[in-house]
Amino acid sequence: MLPEVILAALILLVSFQFIVTRRLGAAVFAYAVQSWLLGGLAIALFADSGLIELLLFGLLIIVIKGVIIPRFLGYRTAAILAGHRETSYYVRFPTALLIGAGLTLLGFLAATRIPFPRQLLPESVLGIALAVFLLGLFTTTARRDAILQVVGLFAAENGLLLVGLVVAPSLSLLIEFAIVLDILIAVLVVGFLVARMHQEVASTDTSELTRLRG
Amino acid sequence: MINAGLLLGVLGVPLLAAVASGLARRDTTRYALVIPSSLIAFGLALTLIARVLSGGPVSALGNWLYLDDLNSIVLLVVMFVSTLAGAYSIAYFRSSAQEHVLRPGELRKYFALFHLFTLTMVLVTVSGNLALLWTAVTATTFASAPLVDFYGSREPLEAAWKFLILAVAGELIALFGFLLLYAAGITALGRSYNFSIPVLGAAGAHLSPTLAGLGFLLVLVGFGTKAGLAPMHTWLPDAHSQAPAPVCAMLSGAELNCAMLAIVRVLSLATPSQGAGGGGLHAALLAFGLVSMTVGVVFLISQRNFKRLLAYSSVEQMGLIAAGFGLGAPLAVVGALLQMMTHSLAKTLMFFNAGNLLLRFRSTTIADVRAVVKAAPATAVLVILGALAIAGAPPFGLFVSEFAIVSGALRQADWGAGALIAALLLVGFVALVAPFSRMTFGDGRPSEPQAREELGIAVLAPGFVLLAGVLMLGFWIPGPLHSLLLGASQVVSK
Repeated sequence: MLPEVILAALILLVSFQFIVTRRLGAAVFAYAVQSWLLGGLAIALFADSGLIELLLFGLLIIVIKGVIIPRFLGYRTAAILAGHRETSYYVRFPTALLIGAGLTLLGFLAATRIPFPRQLLPESVLGIALAVFLLGLFTTTARRDAILQVVGLFAAENGLLLVGLVVAPSLSLLIEFAIVLDILIAVLVVGFLVARMHQEVASTDTSELTRLRG
Repeated sequence: MINAGLLLGVLGVPLLAAVASGLARRDTTRYALVIPSSLIAFGLALTLIARVLSGGPVSALGNWLYLDDLNSIVLLVVMFVSTLAGAYSIAYFRSSAQEHVLRPGELRKYFALFHLFTLTMVLVTVSGNLALLWTAVTATTFASAPLVDFYGSREPLEAAWKFLILAVAGELIALFGFLLLYAAGITALGRSYNFSIPVLGAAGAHLSPTLAGLGFLLVLVGFGTKAGLAPMHTWLPDAHSQAPAPVCAMLSGAELNCAMLAIVRVLSLATPSQGAGGGGLHAALLAFGLVSMTVGVVFLISQRNFKRLLAYSSVEQMGLIAAGFGLGAPLAVVGALLQMMTHSLAKTLMFFNAGNLLLRFRSTTIADVRAVVKAAPATAVLVILGALAIAGAPPFGLFVSEFAIVSGALRQADWGAGALIAALLLVGFVALVAPFSRMTFGDGRPSEPQAREELGIAVLAPGFVLLAGVLMLGFWIPGPLHSLLLGASQVVSK
C-alpha cells in the first residue's frame, strides 16, 4: 500500500500549485502531472489487486487527462498562454495558501466521518482525495482567469476519481464516462468559449465579464 | 425487444436530426427537418408511455435504459416543449431576420445543438443505469451552454460562461454523491453490481443509511445547482434571459425538470434505507425548496427586464416543486408532479411571449413595452393570459397543482410550510401579473407611437397551443395522465 499512499500524497502536493501559480502554462502542466500520478496510482492498485478495470482506468487517465487535454489546452490557447500571467485575482497569495491548508484539514476531517466499506485503499487516501476535490473547487472560485477556472474544475474531478478509487474501485464505468466528458468540456470550453472570450474582451480574464447584475 | 427498439428509437430520432442538421447544405432543409423529427420522436415516446401504463416499468439492455411512471412525466414534458420550441424557432428566426441578420452557419450550429439538447434531455428521462443518468444530466449542460451564447455578444457570453462553470462544479458534486450511493450498495449487493434504478430500488432498505443519505444530499446540492435551487441559482437569471427565446423555453421548461427528476430519483432510492424516522432527506429537499421560493419571489419584485423576471419565476417555481416533493405526502407529491407539467407549459408560453414582444418592441425592458393590447391584440391576449396562468390564477393548471401542494402541506399538519408557500405564491402572483398587465394595458409613450401591427400567425400559434394545454389541465386531467401521476407519486412519496 505504501507506493499508493506516496503517490496520493504527491497528488495533494501538486494541487497546491493550482492555488499559488500565476502562470497559466504552469497550471496546465501541474494538471498533467497530477493526472500522471493518478493514473500511476490506479496502475499500482491494479498490480496489487489484479482488477483489470483499474489498469484500463489508469491508462485512460494518463492518455486523456495526462496528454490529450493538456496538449489541447496548450494548443488551442498557445497565443493566450505564451508567457501569460494572471494579472488580477480575487484572493491574495498568503490568504490563498491559508485557505488551502484549511480545506486540506477539512478534507481529512470529512474522510473520518464517511463510513465507507473498506476496499483497497486506506482512509488517509480518502482524506487526500477530498482535499484535492476541495482545492480544485477553491481554485475555480478564487481565480479570475477562464483557463485557470477550467483547470480547477478538472483538478477537482481528479480528486473525485481518487474518491472513486477508494470507495468503489470496481465502479470504473461512472468514472470512464467522466473522463470522456472531460474531452467534451475541453473541446467545448477551450475551443469555443475561451476563443470567444478572447475575441470579445481580448483576454481570458472573467472579471471583464460583469455586465449581468441583479 | 420491442421496448429496447422503442427506447433506442426515441433517442435515435433526435440524434439523426442533429447529424442531418449539421450536414445539410441549405437552411430550408434544416427548417423542414424540425417538425417531422419532433413528431416522430413524440410518437415513439407516447407509444412507450402507453406500454408503461399497461405493463409497468419498461427496462432494456441490462437496465441501461429504463422508463417508469416518474420518468414518463418528464419525458412527456421534454417532448412537448421541444416540439413546440422547434416550431417556434423556425418562425422566430424568420421573423427576426430583419434586425438580426444570421451569419452563414449560424442556423447549422443552432439546429444541430437544438436536436442534441433534446437528445440529452430524452436520455436523462430514459436512463436506467445511474452512471448514464449522471452523464446525461451533465451532457445537457454541454449541449445548451453554446446555445445560450447564440447571439454572440458580451452579455450572452458572460451568461454562458457562468452557466458552464457553475453547472460543471455542481455536476462534480453530484458525481461525488453518485460514488457514495454506489458505495452504499456494496455491503448488500457485492463489490461489483449493476448500478441501476431497478437493482438499487429492489435493495431498498439494505443500503448503508449514512452513505445513501450523504449521497442524496450531495446530489441535491450538485444537481440542485442545475435545477436552479437557491442559493446555487445565480447563473440561472443570466442564462435564461440571454439565450434566444426558444432556447430560454427549453432551458426553463424542460432542462430544469430533468435535473429535478435526477434529484427526486435519488431521493426515492435513498429514502427506504433511512428507517422509520426517515424524513430527514425529504426535509432537506423541502428546506431548499422554501429558500428558493423566497429568493425567487424577492427578486421578482425588483426586476426591470421581463426575461429576467421570467427567469426568477423559474427559481420560485422550481423551489415550489422541490418543496412539494420534500413534503412527501402523496397529495403534495402529485401536486409537484403536476406542477412540473403545468409550469413547463406556462413558462414555455411566457418565453415565446417574451420573444414575440422582443420582435415587436425590440426591447426586453419592461418600461419600453406599453399598450400591447393596442399595438398587437392577439399577442396581448397571449401575454396577459399567460401571465395569469404562470402566476397561478384559476382556472389555469398551475392553480390546481399549487392548490394540491398547499393542501398536501396542511393535510400533514405542516402548517408553517403550508402558510409560507401560500404567502409566497400570493406575493409572487402580484409581482408577476403587475408588470405584464402594465405592459399590456399601460399607455403608450407619446415619443414613439406604435402603429397597430400584428405578428404573424406562425409565431403566435405555438403559444395558443400551450395556452390551450395549460387551460385544459386546470379543468380536466386525461385518464392516462391521471394514472401516470398516481404511479409516479408512489415512487416518490415517503
